[in-house]
Parts: sequence; structure tokens; C-alpha cells
Amino acid sequence: MADRTYDDVTQVPVDDTEDIDRTEVRSYWQLARRRFVRHRLAVIGAITLAVLIVAAAVVPLVVENATGVSISKSFAPAEIVDDEGNLVLALLGYSRTGINMFTQLMAATATSLMIGFAAVLIIVFIGVVIGAVAGYAGGWVDNVLMRVVDIALSMPGLFIIIAFVAFWGASIWTIILAIGITGWTTAARLVRAEFLSLREADYVQAARALGASPRRIILRHMLPPALAPIIVAASLGVADSVVLEAALSFLGFGIGAEQASLGTLLNVAFEYLNREPYLVLFPSIVLILIVLAANFLGDGMRDALDPRQRVEQQ
Amino acid sequence: MLTYIIRRIILAIPILLGVAIISFLLVYLAPGDPLAQFRVPNVRPEVLDRLAEIYGFNKPLPEQFIGWITNYVQVWNPDAWGLSITYRRPVLELIAERTPATLLLMGSSLALTIIIAIPLGMLAAVRQYSWADKIVTTFATIGYAMPSFVLGTFLLYIGAIWFRIFPFGGMTSSLRTESDPLDIAWHLALPVASLAIQSIAGWSRYIRASMLEVLHQDYIRTAKAKGLSANRVNFRHALRNALIPVVTLFGLSLPALIAGAVITETIFSWPGLGSFGVNAIGQRDYPVIMAFVLLGGIAVVIGNLVADIMYGVVDPRIKY
Amino acid sequence: MTTVSRSVGPLLEIQGLKTHFFTQDGTVRAVDGVSFQIGHAKTLGVVGESGCGKSITSLSVMRLIERPGKIVEGSIKLNGEDLLEKSDEEMRDIRGDQVSMIFQEPMTSLNPVFTCGEQISEAVQQHTAASRREGMDRAVEMLSLVGIPDAKRRAREYPHQLSGGMRQRVMIAMALSTDPDLLIADEPTTALDVTIQAQILELMRDLREKNRMAIMLITHDLGVVAEMADEVVVMYAGKVVERGDVRTIFGNPHHPYTQGLLHSIPRLDERVDRLEVIKGTVPSPYNLPAGCLFKRRCPFRMPICDVAPPMRQIGEEHTSRCWLTPAGEPPEVGADPTPEEAEAAGEQLTVEPR
Repeated sequence: MADRTYDDVTQVPVDDTEDIDRTEVRSYWQLARRRFVRHRLAVIGAITLAVLIVAAAVVPLVVENATGVSISKSFAPAEIVDDEGNLVLALLGYSRTGINMFTQLMAATATSLMIGFAAVLIIVFIGVVIGAVAGYAGGWVDNVLMRVVDIALSMPGLFIIIAFVAFWGASIWTIILAIGITGWTTAARLVRAEFLSLREADYVQAARALGASPRRIILRHMLPPALAPIIVAASLGVADSVVLEAALSFLGFGIGAEQASLGTLLNVAFEYLNREPYLVLFPSIVLILIVLAANFLGDGMRDALDPRQRVEQQ
Repeated sequence: MLTYIIRRIILAIPILLGVAIISFLLVYLAPGDPLAQFRVPNVRPEVLDRLAEIYGFNKPLPEQFIGWITNYVQVWNPDAWGLSITYRRPVLELIAERTPATLLLMGSSLALTIIIAIPLGMLAAVRQYSWADKIVTTFATIGYAMPSFVLGTFLLYIGAIWFRIFPFGGMTSSLRTESDPLDIAWHLALPVASLAIQSIAGWSRYIRASMLEVLHQDYIRTAKAKGLSANRVNFRHALRNALIPVVTLFGLSLPALIAGAVITETIFSWPGLGSFGVNAIGQRDYPVIMAFVLLGGIAVVIGNLVADIMYGVVDPRIKY
Repeated sequence: MTTVSRSVGPLLEIQGLKTHFFTQDGTVRAVDGVSFQIGHAKTLGVVGESGCGKSITSLSVMRLIERPGKIVEGSIKLNGEDLLEKSDEEMRDIRGDQVSMIFQEPMTSLNPVFTCGEQISEAVQQHTAASRREGMDRAVEMLSLVGIPDAKRRAREYPHQLSGGMRQRVMIAMALSTDPDLLIADEPTTALDVTIQAQILELMRDLREKNRMAIMLITHDLGVVAEMADEVVVMYAGKVVERGDVRTIFGNPHHPYTQGLLHSIPRLDERVDRLEVIKGTVPSPYNLPAGCLFKRRCPFRMPICDVAPPMRQIGEEHTSRCWLTPAGEPPEVGADPTPEEAEAAGEQLTVEPR
């Protein structure tokens, strides 16, 4: 402070640069990322999910015969490399029929996750289309579409999925399709709500006044802000879809046991609950981890992307 | 008030119609032959034709639909909902038989949920950031995230296998023919616990969030400025407002009273509607399946209706 | 209830109040050493821009500050008794009874699920031995007192059935139903139309006459202050920068901020091409300047402003937090006690006019 020069007459400091408010200006995405990182749980969730995805993808590729039966290894203890020097990564030992439990778990996780993500893609696609059209058009179009949503919501979801899969066969694709076409309602509602409020936004009115086509308005002006609820719905949707598939397989209506999924593992584990209760443990843990991680991730993203923040306590 | 209700009912009718159409189409378009189980060797074609006639499988689509709807509406007629292929008994009867078990299970769970979740949610909101809040939120998050079959299996294992306190499943012990309430209660414990834990987790999160939002409202500040005690502010002013959306949650839980919890019933071998329906799918018992889907849809529509009406009663701002 | 024994001395005396908010981004010193008084049946106008701490001051008086905020220092004496030393229960007795408060947003300040009458009656029942019926009677009485026609019917209606102006009247009725000594009004007319504003202000003038009630009127609207206040306190960035009676402040403002505020009011009888503004913006609470908080925007800035000025006596009953002499001249170097001595001597400082 002592080294400032002052104008002789007015005594006003000549160099005014120290008065510039130096708080940085950050973009919306930078702020969002900062807020997200503050959510320890959300970050943990993201990391957990990433680790699971990588493990599920890599392990079955790296290990030969990840899910195969091999009676000679019945109940063999855990090992990383087998007697012949092959990398087996049998961290959880072997089952009664000689299946490498760890690699089987990873393969099952991979299947479950794949089904989950694919189903979410369908959910998001249908949801966004219906929600955007309903929210943008308003009026009778909105009314009709919302009735459709109401009807879809009124159907007993799990039941329909089971019926669908039972009638049309239990392949991965029918399962993905079934989960997808019954699960889009929440996403549609979220998108519609966002679009309805955006419709009245000044900048949208301006775009309309300038003669922009509805398609351009929707895609370029309204969709980016609406991304926030879509992203959140997607991350929560992954958790829901994975659980749905697992439930399906658990009840015996899912994919066959050769293509392991978390649900089929639990189905078998339930049968052996008396004799080998520990079988339930690890698929359950993985399932819970996926759901918790996706939930935390979704919560964290929702808070990060919402510009209206309450002051957090120290 | 009456106009409000009537208007809501009228709005519900197209939805019911939509549900009916979709239910019908779902079953009608299912591949496979509904008469497959009758096609034993040496069966005479006339028998098959006659069966097709009885079940109406040989009429054109719209006619089948109309016939189906007109039949279904006549609920006083025990045959209205057709005959189960598997059991060869009227579907209505079978459903009626299974309903009490489901109602018992779901009703107990709902009651427990309301009794426990409201105080929990309130406690967590009022003491935000405290230990109590953290415990409740953690419990709620985990309970909510845990898939029902994991929780159910876990409870079954702990309760029935490890500690051997509870029975392994079913509603009654096999040697008893009359229903002994204590025996049923003993069997009810685990499945209800499984269901209740999940819904308490979900509800308390919801109630906590609603309560938190209310506690930040201006009128709560006004109430405090009037010198009211904390209890009075929390219970009379805050909770009363916070419970408004919860009322709709209650209404939306009503359909589950009928549809039951498929997974939980399966795990605990509880003889309710849920497991009955799933078995019907497995056995391709189409009349039962159709009845189920339609019933589920109706239950949801009625549940929404009840939720709307209750909301109108509880919130004086709703104009009717 | 009105206290029978009017103690000699001010009704409300705030000394060195500091209310800080401890947030993740840092500590916000919302109220940082505020002192003023309100005499019995007097109206004090508390003026300042948004964020200067005036609302927080009023909430501190009511002890309605919640996490992450905390009253860290100071004393608030009501009739000689320090409110900061009272227990929660004692405070609850005082709130709504001796000190009442009305808020800015009449649209959201009333509970939507209870009728207006019930809410007023509740205040009465809380602080007196009144029964429910007596409470409702008093509610109807108050509602007609504040100028609501057909009071008996209105008492049974819900807040959403009333307009904004009427809801504010209900709030006033509720606040006054217990005959408080002090009414704190936080921007009571900001959210209302100008015509309704005039009605509400007239109502308040009326009632303070009848009830011999002191008012702490918080507002950023200088016109309202001119109409209603006996004394004025000007706040900036958590501190009081000028204090005096209303004529002095409006006629002879000393602090450059006050001057700026008054100059920025457009006059009907003058034609101007540009409105005058105070250059710059209110400093962010996380980035306060060292020394005088107003220095970055002050047209009279001097080197000495890098040292925080204390409240200095400008005239009788007129103080200002500025190094300028009462005549508005820069102080002579060496003529005054050093700032440290000034701080040590306390808030008031007498300076010989040059």
C-alpha cells in the first residue's frame, strides 16, 4: 500500500488496477465441474463405476474360458496363475462345477452393464423425443402425449416386461427392448417439464421471432439446457435397468444361464442358499455397488448442473 | 368438490380404455398357440374347434376385444373374466382367493412405512447436518438402492437359515388347517420386513426433502418470529405442509396393494397375487395374464384418482 | 404486551453487533460492528443497498439467525436487558410479544394451510391467556383495524384468497395483535404497488400513533424513509456509515455514500440527461478492501482512507464513518489523533472543525 502514487491535486490514486475485482469468471461447465468435484460421494461413485466397467470389460478378455465349467477344478482355492502358468485371476476361487467365480462375476457384470446401458439409450431416445415434442408443441399435442404417458405409467411395469420376455423369447435384445419401452416415462416427463419452461424463455421467443425453424430451435437452443435432467435421468436409469434385468433373471425369465448376468448368478445362488450361502454375496455386492454408484453419480450431477445452489456450511 | 371428483373420473376413462387396449393387444399379439397344451396326440379337431369357440380365439380382433370388454365389465358374473387354462376355474375366483394374502402383506408394509418413515424423515430434516440426519440419510440411501431380491434373500438367510427364528416361507405352517393369526404373523414377519425397509427408505428420503423445502419457506420464518415453540413450528406449521405431497405418495402406493410385490412373494413363497401372476405367465395362462394386466392398470388409475382427491382435500389452495 | 415501566433510556440499544456467516467459500461478515439506538415510540429508518446487512441486523435482534450464521459479538439491549443473554424460552416470549417483525414478501410469508384468522389468533394465544374464541375475536378486531373490509369473513379465508396488499395488512395485524413495543419492518412495501405502498405506510403511521410503538423500518427506498422516519442509520457492507436525525441526513449528508444515494434520486423539478450513479459496485463479501470499505467508489478518496475510519462526530446527534471533517474537507495531516488512538477511544470522536 505504501508504494502508491497519488495525484497531487485530488489525492486520488493514479494506478487504479488494484481495485479491479479479481474473482475469475468461469463458464457454466467449469462451474458445474467444480461443484461436482466437491461432492465426494459423487466422485467416488464415478470412480467405482469406471473401475467396474473396466474390470468387467477387461477380465473376460484377458482370461481364457472365463465362464466355462471345468470339473477338475471343483471347489479349488483362489489363485492368480494356475499350474500350467496361465493367467486365471481366480480371486474368488472355484465353484462346485469348477467355474472361475471371479471371472464369471466380471463377465456377468459386463452383460448386466451392457444391457443396462443399451436399455438406457432406448429410454433416453424415446423419452427425449416424446418429451421434447410435447414440451415444445404444447396444446393438444402435449395433452395427447401426456395421456399416452399416463397409460404407459398405468401398466404394471415388471409384469409387462416379464410377459414380453416370456412371449417373445428371452434373448438379450428382447430384454433390452422390453426394459426400454417400459422405462421411458420418467425421462419424458423431465424433458417435457424442462421444455415447457424453456418455451417461455425470452431467448427462445427471440429465436422464434427471427424465424428459426422449430427443429433448429429445439436442437440448438432448447436441448443443451435440457441436457441436465437427461443426464441425471440416464445415470439413474442405468441403475434401474441393471436391477430390472437382474430381477428378471432372478425370477427365471431372463437370459439363459450360459450367458451369465448378475441376475442369473443370483438365481442360482438363491437355489443353493441352504448349502452354499456365500454364493449370494459377491453378485449382490456388485449389484449394490452399481446402484449406489449410479445414484450418487446422478445426485452429484444433478446438484452440479443446477445453477441454483444453496450456501453450503463449512 | 363433487365436480372435482367427477372431472377427475371422466379424465380417467380414456386412460382405462388405453390400458384395456394395450392389455388386450399384449396378449393377443403374443406368439405361440394358446391351445398348445391341448394338442395332445389323437385329440380330435372338433374338440380343438370347440375349445377355440369357448375361449373365443377364432373371431376377428375387434370383435374379440369388444366381447372381452363387455365380459369383463360384468364383475358380478363369476365367469366374466374367463376361465384359467391351468386351473380350469374362473379367473375371478382365483384372484379373489389370493387377494387377502396380498392385502395382508402389502397393507402391513404400508402401515409400518407410514408409522416409521414420517417421524424419521421429519427428524432428519429438523436436525439437518446432525448425526441423526446423517444416519437416516445413509440408511435411506442404502435401503433405497438395494434391489428387493437382494434384501429379501439376505433377510431370508439371516432370519430363517442362520438364526432359524423365522419360517422358510409360505403363509402358514403346513400342518395347520385353520388360520392361526399368530402363525400367520410369524410367517409375515420376514416378507413385511423386506418390503417395509425398502419403502421406509424411499419415503423417509421423500419426506425429508419435502420437510426441508418447507422449513426454508418464508412462512416458517414468520411463525418463528411470532415466538412459537420449536415443536409447534415443526409439527403444526411445517409438517402439515410437508405432508401434502406425501399424501399423493400414499395414493400412488395403493395400486401396489393389489399388484403385490412379485419378487418378495416369490422369495418367501407367499401365496399372493404377485406370484400367482408370474406363474401364470410361465404357464401361458392367457386369461389370467389378461386379467392381471388389466387389474394392475385399473388399480393404478384408481390409485391416482384417490391421490388427486386426497390432494384436493388436504391443500386448501386447490380450487374445485 | 406493552411494558408498563418505560425505562429511561432508549428502547433498543445495539452495541458492536457482529453477525458472521461461516461458509465453505470463506467467512461473510454480514454485520460487522453495528451500533445504534431506537428511542421509545420513535421510528428509525435503516437504509442501504441490498446486501449491506440491514436485514441480518434485524434478524439478529430477533435472534432468528441460523446456521451457517452466528452472532459472534456485541450486545442488543431491549429496555436495558441484553437479548443475547436470554435463554431460548425467554426469547420466544419476547418474539411476537414485545418485538414483532413483518417481512418483505407478503405473498409467501403466511402459511397457506391455515386461515388468516387462525394465524393471527395463534400469535395472541401464544402470548396471552386468551382462549381460541378470544383469539379469533382479537383477530377480527385487528383485521378491521388494519383496514380490511368485511373482517369477519376475511378471517376465515386462506391467504391465497387475498391480494398482496391485503396479505401485508394481515401480517401487520398479526404483528400488532400483541401490542408490541417495537415493530421491525423489513422492506414492508418493496413488493407492493406504489398506491398500495402509500396505503400501507399511512396505516403504519396511524398505528404507531395509536399504540405508541417504535418502528425499525428497513428499506432501500429513501422516499419511504423521508416520510416515515425520525432518525436514520445508513449502512454499507456490514457497517453503519452515517447516523443522524432525518432532517440532518437529508439536508446535510456527510458520508460520501449517503451523498451519493441522495444525489442519485432523480428530481421532478430538474431536467437531466443522465441519472447520477455511484460508480463501481458493492464489494463482494469475500473480497473486502482494507481500510474504508467505500474507498474504491469514493470521489473524495485520500491516502488516509487505507486506514479504516471510526464513527466520528459531525454535529449534535450526527455521526459519520469518514475521515473528512464535518465541513467536508480532507483532514490536516497531523492535526488528528492517530487512527489507533481513535479506535482505542471508542466509536465517538470529537474533532475540532477547522
